[in-house]
Amino acid sequence: MFALADCNNFFVSCERVFRPDLEGRPVIVLSNNDGCAVARSNEAKALGIKMGAPLFKIRDIVERNQVTVFSGNYALYGDMSRRVQEVLRSQAPSVEVYSIDEAFLDLRGAVIDDFDAYAKRVSALCRKLTGIPVSVGIAPTKTLAKIASKLCKQYPKLRGGCYMHRPQDIEKVLRKFPVDDVWGIGRRSMKKLAYLGVATAWDYAQLREYDVRKNFALPGWRTWKELRGVPCIEFEDYVEPRQHLCVSRSFAKEIDTVSDLCSQVATFADKAVTKLRAQGSLTLEMAVFAMTNRFHEDEPQNFSSQLVTFPDGTDDHRTVVIAAAEGTRRLFDPRFKYKKAGVLFTRIVQKDEFTPSLFRDVEAGEKDARLSQVLDAINGTFGNGTVRFGVQGDGTVLSSHEFRSPCYTTRWTELPKVRI
Amino acid sequence: MNSSSFIPHPVADAESYESLLVGAVKAGFPSPAEGVREKLDLVKLLVRHTASTFFFQVDGVSMVDADMDEGDILIVDRAVDPYNGCKAVCFIDGEYTVKRVEIGESGAVLMPCNEHNTRYKPIPVGPDNDFLVWGVVTYVIKKA
Repeated sequence: MFALADCNNFFVSCERVFRPDLEGRPVIVLSNNDGCAVARSNEAKALGIKMGAPLFKIRDIVERNQVTVFSGNYALYGDMSRRVQEVLRSQAPSVEVYSIDEAFLDLRGAVIDDFDAYAKRVSALCRKLTGIPVSVGIAPTKTLAKIASKLCKQYPKLRGGCYMHRPQDIEKVLRKFPVDDVWGIGRRSMKKLAYLGVATAWDYAQLREYDVRKNFALPGWRTWKELRGVPCIEFEDYVEPRQHLCVSRSFAKEIDTVSDLCSQVATFADKAVTKLRAQGSLTLEMAVFAMTNRFHEDEPQNFSSQLVTFPDGTDDHRTVVIAAAEGTRRLFDPRFKYKKAGVLFTRIVQKDEFTPSLFRDVEAGEKDARLSQVLDAINGTFGNGTVRFGVQGDGTVLSSHEFRSPCYTTRWTELPKVRI
Repeated sequence: MNSSSFIPHPVADAESYESLLVGAVKAGFPSPAEGVREKLDLVKLLVRHTASTFFFQVDGVSMVDADMDEGDILIVDRAVDPYNGCKAVCFIDGEYTVKRVEIGESGAVLMPCNEHNTRYKPIPVGPDNDFLVWGVVTYVIKKA
């Protein structure tokens, strides 16, 4: 058996742990730079606020219904996620963290005589210890476990835990479950599915194996088998290093000078290198990009990018930051106002699996490597941006987070206050 | 019992035996402490459950003879079940407050943490109150 533990409306729930007065009231959390709603409480969903809705389009719903709005507080969400993971690890032999708010538990070989009671117990324990409501679905495959966890959200009577295993129960659930909500069914498949007359997860599971393989390739075939109760998506408690790495932000105000844009992009590049180094990789290629505000249709629109290659691969802060700044200078066009920019590492290799060219400057490389190590050590201890390159300016990102809650669990100066 | 004072107890799973890289041994009497490097980890003492322990800070007017003063840091462990007489961070009618919780037959009563101060009256919790015990206070960090 596999379990999926999924935190309900995770970002909203994190805010509510420290604001119990918001329980039962509409709450949303905004994306970077306070752009769009990326998390919604059930009450906010009921008001018709859609996932990804830009704030300026829902302003009147927000005001009319006194929706509480938060900017994203990723320090808080990261710490609360760590806490939930710890609770899960204490309850299962093996845990695969799938995202900030979801984790699979591998229950094969675990001695559990009542899976339904176990699911409800794990959910209750997460709630008690961390304050976060968690839906725990248990089923013979990961895909079905995900569906079972969604049932917990629909039916509060399940008390956060659902064990779905009898074939007749699975059939009943799949017959009502829209196929596009199934894990692994992409939006790109929707046309084909409609053509084949597939509307529910059950319809999909009833397709002929030949049709599945022909139309939906390997991932689609795996989903098909999983829906039929045959586990074939591996349990991964080891996280593959990322193949792409992107750091980008939109800005509070449009940027129209090359020096401001350079310092922003250089700061993103520096962040990206820190992430790259943390996973022990090198990048062979970087795209630097910037774009105008697509919501300002009356202004000239532009998207431009520059590709930089590093033939010997690099994980060096200085090399990448300089290249990012140079790329920005080349793409900058004074006719436009830039709303968003970023860097993307497009070809990433593992350091120990990569053979660099024979003719590279070994000595210079070693010096750079030492500099990067020192930078990581200082910034790791004293906070990002403590030591930075001149081109980064003051190292702050010009994005807005007007409604950010305190970092209750990660900063001594922002602890929740309590009266005697 | 004054539960806000520290009660040191041995830490069972101390990672205190770090192996030492012993370099060239110089002449002289070898230190009897060689190879032993113990240190006390305050976090291990104060935080028993890393998933469920949170910190709060005492705010508001400090009181004469109070157990707790403005600025004190409360260590709150949600893993501890509220018991009769525990000090707890409570959320009542939209506000955080730290109180001693007396659990009687007729429900909970919130007593001021400072027993000597008569300015603060016990608050009986009724069905009309929006009330929850957020977490039990296990330690108070106080500047001497």
